[in-house]
Amino acid sequence: MFGWGTGHKLDIGGMDEKVKIVFQSVDGDRRIEVAAPAGTSVMEAAIMNNVGGIEAECGGACVCATCHVYCDLVAPESLPEQQVDEDDMLDMAAAERRPTSRLSCQIKLNRDLEGAVFILPEAQV
Amino acid sequence: MSKTAIIVGASHGGVQAAASLRQGGWDGAIRLFSAEDALPYHRPPLSKAFLAGEKTEDQILLRGEAFYRDSDIDLHRGEPVLGLDAAKREIETAKGRYGYDTLILATGSRARRLLVDGAELDGIVTLRSLEDARRIRPALEQAGSLVIVGGGFIGLEIASTAAKAGKKTTVIEAQDRLLARALPPVISDFLRDYHRDKGVAFRFGASLAAFQGAQGRAQAVTLADGERIAADLIVVGVGGEANVDLARQAGLTIDAGGLHVDDKGRTSDPHIYAIGDVAAAHNPHAGARLRLESVQNAVDQARLVAADICGAATPTAPVPWFWTDQYDLKVQMAGLSRAGTTRLMRGNPDDGAFTLLELDGDRLIAAHSVNRAADHMAARKLIAAATPLAIDEARDTTIALAKAVARTDA
Repeated sequence: MFGWGTGHKLDIGGMDEKVKIVFQSVDGDRRIEVAAPAGTSVMEAAIMNNVGGIEAECGGACVCATCHVYCDLVAPESLPEQQVDEDDMLDMAAAERRPTSRLSCQIKLNRDLEGAVFILPEAQV
Repeated sequence: MSKTAIIVGASHGGVQAAASLRQGGWDGAIRLFSAEDALPYHRPPLSKAFLAGEKTEDQILLRGEAFYRDSDIDLHRGEPVLGLDAAKREIETAKGRYGYDTLILATGSRARRLLVDGAELDGIVTLRSLEDARRIRPALEQAGSLVIVGGGFIGLEIASTAAKAGKKTTVIEAQDRLLARALPPVISDFLRDYHRDKGVAFRFGASLAAFQGAQGRAQAVTLADGERIAADLIVVGVGGEANVDLARQAGLTIDAGGLHVDDKGRTSDPHIYAIGDVAAAHNPHAGARLRLESVQNAVDQARLVAADICGAATPTAPVPWFWTDQYDLKVQMAGLSRAGTTRLMRGNPDDGAFTLLELDGDRLIAAHSVNRAADHMAARKLIAAATPLAIDEARDTTIALAKAVARTDA
């Protein structure tokens, strides 16, 4: 049912399978663990669970750069390749852009991301 | 005594207003009224990913249910607001009356209907709400052919979704080109050709004479020139009209098709604000009072009124921006197109990625990008700052648009 779109090799289960991930504040003081179905995006997992610190104004269309996360603690090979439009949008993010910056709407949950920790920047707008 | 803010309408604007009030330190009650039963959701995916079955209802929520609880926002779902008494500062629903200190009208807009013969037949739909999309999704799945009346953004997005699913799709447009009010001809033509390549047929300068059907169900449309086009499903996307009924009831000033607001989002009643599709504000980028139907406008106006209500400094008027996804095209607009601007092409439409710049002298007024997100983002900044552009560099795609500014040191 889901179009992955990136051509990235993914080993996914059905939509029933839940993947646990962690959101962490930049200073590490705040940690929230959430579970969301495989195939939903990291952004959607944050919104569904009211994580805070993710605005996602455009709802995942990759046009607003308000679901910025740092992926310092995520294995790079478990992330989809970054597309040009995401790269362009990240330049507009409110918080500092780092080499590990991603838009969380572009990262769909899969088994490889179990336990992954996403760091929330200090600002989204 | 603690104060109460009431927000009527829980879409992009209403929900953002509630969130921004809390973020801005509003410690009184917040009552957020929605006529719909569903948790508030993003509308743009309704004509795209949701309609295509690629996203579930959970995936298009504006906020999870926990947000309202944790933020102490009293969300009244399925409770349409029926009355407004501005003198008593009360609203009325089927369940009772609620007093307010501050009221935010975020009532949005509704789909305009076409009152021609046969309009009452089944199988003629408009797409505005989740409920609409829930109905259209299975109907589209079963339909072999589709007629879309209106070549606007929603119509073209549905055309894209339908054509991708292999449906025989015809778009009927009254103007001689697509999106004539919002976009310059070069973009209209590009989109028309792109849709045609995907199998979509167009009728331009065409007006609808009637819907035809049998056993209460629509089967075709007929045009003014007599042509008959059969369709299993007919979608009408001919624009929206503001939901000003409550405001009118309360005697608020109506203007430019919407609810008159000042530069802080205040209506003619000092206790009532209006935001989003329903609000007609003076827009410095247009040099006119107008309504804007966009997520950006709703969200930014929500932040504006929340700041004013909380006694904070209000942000300056933002650059309007908008996007539409069709097939693999991401079309992004910054600023507002207007007549008499100088048009400058950056890139080549034949490559499927370009930006049309609109300038007044050397200042950027608007930019319409197809698959050039970096140009769009740069344009938003350049328009906001009214930065003079270096014309030759702006046309050169080997130079980032953000860097194509006139040097002032020469």
